[in-house]
Amino acid sequence: MRNRILAVTGVLLVVGIVLYIIGVRSTKLHISVSAEPVVCLGGARATLETCASGIPITNSLITTGIVLIIIIVAVLAGTRNMQMVPRGLQNTLEVMVEAFYNFAQSVDRRNVTKFFPFCASAFFFILVSNVIGLVPGVGSIGVCVPTEGLKEAAVVAPVADVTMAEEPAGASDFFASWPLSCEKGTTLVPYLRAPSADLNVTLAWALISVGLIQFFGFQALGLGYLTKFFNFRQGFMAAIVGILELISEFVRIIAFAFRLFGNIFAGEVILVVMAFLFPYLLPAPFYAFELFVAFMQALIFSVLSLVFMSLATEAHDGHGSHGHGETAAH
Amino acid sequence: MTDDGLRLIAAALAVGIGAVGPGVGIGVIFSGALQAMGRNPEAEGTLRTYMFLGFALVEALFIFALVIALLIAFRIV
Repeated sequence: MRNRILAVTGVLLVVGIVLYIIGVRSTKLHISVSAEPVVCLGGARATLETCASGIPITNSLITTGIVLIIIIVAVLAGTRNMQMVPRGLQNTLEVMVEAFYNFAQSVDRRNVTKFFPFCASAFFFILVSNVIGLVPGVGSIGVCVPTEGLKEAAVVAPVADVTMAEEPAGASDFFASWPLSCEKGTTLVPYLRAPSADLNVTLAWALISVGLIQFFGFQALGLGYLTKFFNFRQGFMAAIVGILELISEFVRIIAFAFRLFGNIFAGEVILVVMAFLFPYLLPAPFYAFELFVAFMQALIFSVLSLVFMSLATEAHDGHGSHGHGETAAH
Repeated sequence: MTDDGLRLIAAALAVGIGAVGPGVGIGVIFSGALQAMGRNPEAEGTLRTYMFLGFALVEALFIFALVIALLIAFRIV
């Protein structure tokens, strides 16, 4: 088995080096921070990234739908014929959910049943949406949109068309008619884009997560939860610390959103730049690292939500229990 | 000095200076985790989980710097 994997990798490497020498390589570097609309339903396109009118159907929206379909189909197929002794897909799903449940239990044993549904949903959605960005074809297959007439796209990299001059004569004519490349004056808008490489998706998850943290805080401590932020009875320093806590709640939204977006987007940019510098060979180690990052960021998001939720349900000091018996448990 | 030159210097400085703090932080995390594993080898599994959790949290700081540098270099901000 291991020999076979090594053989396939070696053959792919040789094919890649041959393709590189005869000139099949990326010659244009295009990076877009925001998700571009593939079509504007009942409207026209204003710039590459925005619609003048109509409903923009962005590529990350399409991919979000695909991610949801993947998760729903996997869960339905795994739980359709449940057995006491699980086999196959059911076993795989149970192993994943159970491993995450045990980990969540080690963080907060008391409230794990309350926090687990959201954190596990976030974990699996973000994991699938991170990994789907690494599937070949996502972000590289798309429709060519003419940029003339549109506003100047601000995100075309200054190094575009650098290697075009080095190619032997004839090759550029050949690859200009290549069905997979865009003509001059047009820019590729991919059909698919990893959902977590779109700031809207990560911001939505961050808002839901921070909102739920406040909800669980109020549920556990009642209005006493507010004394964590507005604490004017215990002197000046306590009041300042309370205000700082309030600010840090809002900073959490930004940190959640940008940590996930930044990691996945920067990973994609690194892969593109490495594929541009030395195609086929240099991206391989970074690809493996991005797989690790995809898993770690999903884990980080869900575990941080879990930890913040369990912090919000604890009373912030020992002597201010505000008459709630549950909070005096420790 | 042209506007593009200034942008390239700014992007390089953002990545370069932004890598200093997370570099120190990752070193501290791994040294602490390795010492703890050496003293208490039974706790290696738990320690490894929290070590990578801390590693990813610290690495996110460098990713912030990288994103800012990319935004500067590609003329978005």
